[in-house]
Amino acid sequence: MSSPALGSARRPWLLLAPTLAVIGILLLWPMVRVVVLSFQDFGLRELVRGGAELIGLQNYRDVLTDERLWRVALPNTVVFALVCVVLTVVVGTLVALLLHRLSPGWRTLVTMAVMAAWAVPAVTGTYVWVYLFDARAGFLTGVLGQLGLVDVATQNLFTERGWFYAIATLNVVHHGFPFVAVTVLAGLVTIPSELPEAAMIDGANAWQRFRHVTLPMLKPVFAIVTILSTIWDFKVFTQIYLMPGGDGSNREVLNLGTWSYITAMSQNQFGLGAAIAVLLTVLLMVITAVYLRTLFKEEEL
Amino acid sequence: MRRLLGRGGLVLACVVVVVFSIFPVFVMVGTALDPAANAGGRGVIPSGISLEHFGRVLSETRFPSYLLNSLIVAVVTVVASGLLALFAAVAVARFRFSGRTKILMMILIVQMVPMEALVIPLFLQAKTLGLLNSLLGLSVVYIAFSLSFAIWTLRGFVAAVPVELEEAAYLDGASWWQMFWKVLFPLVAPGLVAVSVFSFILAWNEFIFALTFMADDDMYTAAVGLRTFFTRSGTDWGAVMAASSIITVPVMIFFVAVQSRLSSGLMSGATKG
Repeated sequence: MSSPALGSARRPWLLLAPTLAVIGILLLWPMVRVVVLSFQDFGLRELVRGGAELIGLQNYRDVLTDERLWRVALPNTVVFALVCVVLTVVVGTLVALLLHRLSPGWRTLVTMAVMAAWAVPAVTGTYVWVYLFDARAGFLTGVLGQLGLVDVATQNLFTERGWFYAIATLNVVHHGFPFVAVTVLAGLVTIPSELPEAAMIDGANAWQRFRHVTLPMLKPVFAIVTILSTIWDFKVFTQIYLMPGGDGSNREVLNLGTWSYITAMSQNQFGLGAAIAVLLTVLLMVITAVYLRTLFKEEEL
Repeated sequence: MRRLLGRGGLVLACVVVVVFSIFPVFVMVGTALDPAANAGGRGVIPSGISLEHFGRVLSETRFPSYLLNSLIVAVVTVVASGLLALFAAVAVARFRFSGRTKILMMILIVQMVPMEALVIPLFLQAKTLGLLNSLLGLSVVYIAFSLSFAIWTLRGFVAAVPVELEEAAYLDGASWWQMFWKVLFPLVAPGLVAVSVFSFILAWNEFIFALTFMADDDMYTAAVGLRTFFTRSGTDWGAVMAASSIITVPVMIFFVAVQSRLSSGLMSGATKG
């Protein structure tokens, strides 16, 4: 702003100071600290007495040579996240396309229901799914039993890695699709209705109209919802931790987030836990960077 | 294709979406009201309606004090992060200074840092500073994590206020701070409502820091306090669902109301121009 009335050159910094202090102390410094920790042997003794020995890459060596990383935590994180992102974006987009076709009254009604799904906290939502898939007594366990997929009398779904993560996927997709639906709908209403109509006159079917008109126009919107879903689904913690066995008692269902947390908080191996957290963050940053590059190529901020 | 997705198809699709969306909440509230919730039934339709689980949770457990803890943390977070974010948003939306873009990018990138990755260092930091087991310590963490989104959102609202309005205030002899409180603040109020809803929900629902910071069960927030209903002798599902309903339903009504008003407001604003 060139207006002299807007005040001194110091004012913006004055206004930013509290924010920068909070971000610096509570986000940037801990980021440095977690990296430093990952090079330290930091256990219960160091927690009590302070001071910790630098041990170089030992924690990383321990994590990267642990077969639990390659056989359990990494697949549980990556495969789960990919499935969740694809399902969340597909379901969310389908719901957005549905909402777009509805009359205003119906649209409000269905949007409110979708919002209700969004508003359920991860904690209470997870408890409901746990209740529904409870061994023997759960309603959905019973449904799966009726379908012949599960032996209700003997099977506990939460002890089996595949079922555990299938339930977690249902939970995460249910929690995540409303954001995609609402965001994509906001994009859809900006597309002038002449465009799909013109495509229809040219004989394009519904899929072709979506593929060649809607998708290219909403590319930035899809990029955003995919990036955010990816970030969220890679670092899922609460939904896993609160499921039976997810708090570390069943080692087969650990993902990077819960493994890092349990290593640090339950086993007091803060250095090792930090190394796992750093690996998870680096994985996330690489994926985000790839997305952002494609995004910023097209649009200046 | 057109016929397939005709009126009947649309209605069916709506029903599927609505049922899928509200199913968990329906089960939650239904079980909370079902007097036979702990009898081991398999249905999702309550066998009767009774408030006994709510009564038990609110009078015989420590859940009410957990609710109060959550409320204190959420209110502190909303007020502090709203104010800090507004100041920062005005700085980046209204002033051109060197480093502005860098700060904006820093704020954006910081938001990408997973909260979960910082649990370990923040736990150690809070321990050193004596902020474990403290509602303030927890609030401060939530303020940090809600700031970035709040700044980016408010930046848009501040930028949308015409500079002429500010200049008119200066012509009337207002100082910068008077202009800020009398002109800018009321005009970005809808934006503040939006970010308040966001930070309230973040603080109200957050689990991992609340779990890590609060070792003493007097200081549990509601989301963490639910764990106390899972005991060695079995789970009191009636109590879990009643307490979950108390946590979930008010926030849900609030969220749905504000969100629909907000999006209709944004839509009308967008088409008016």
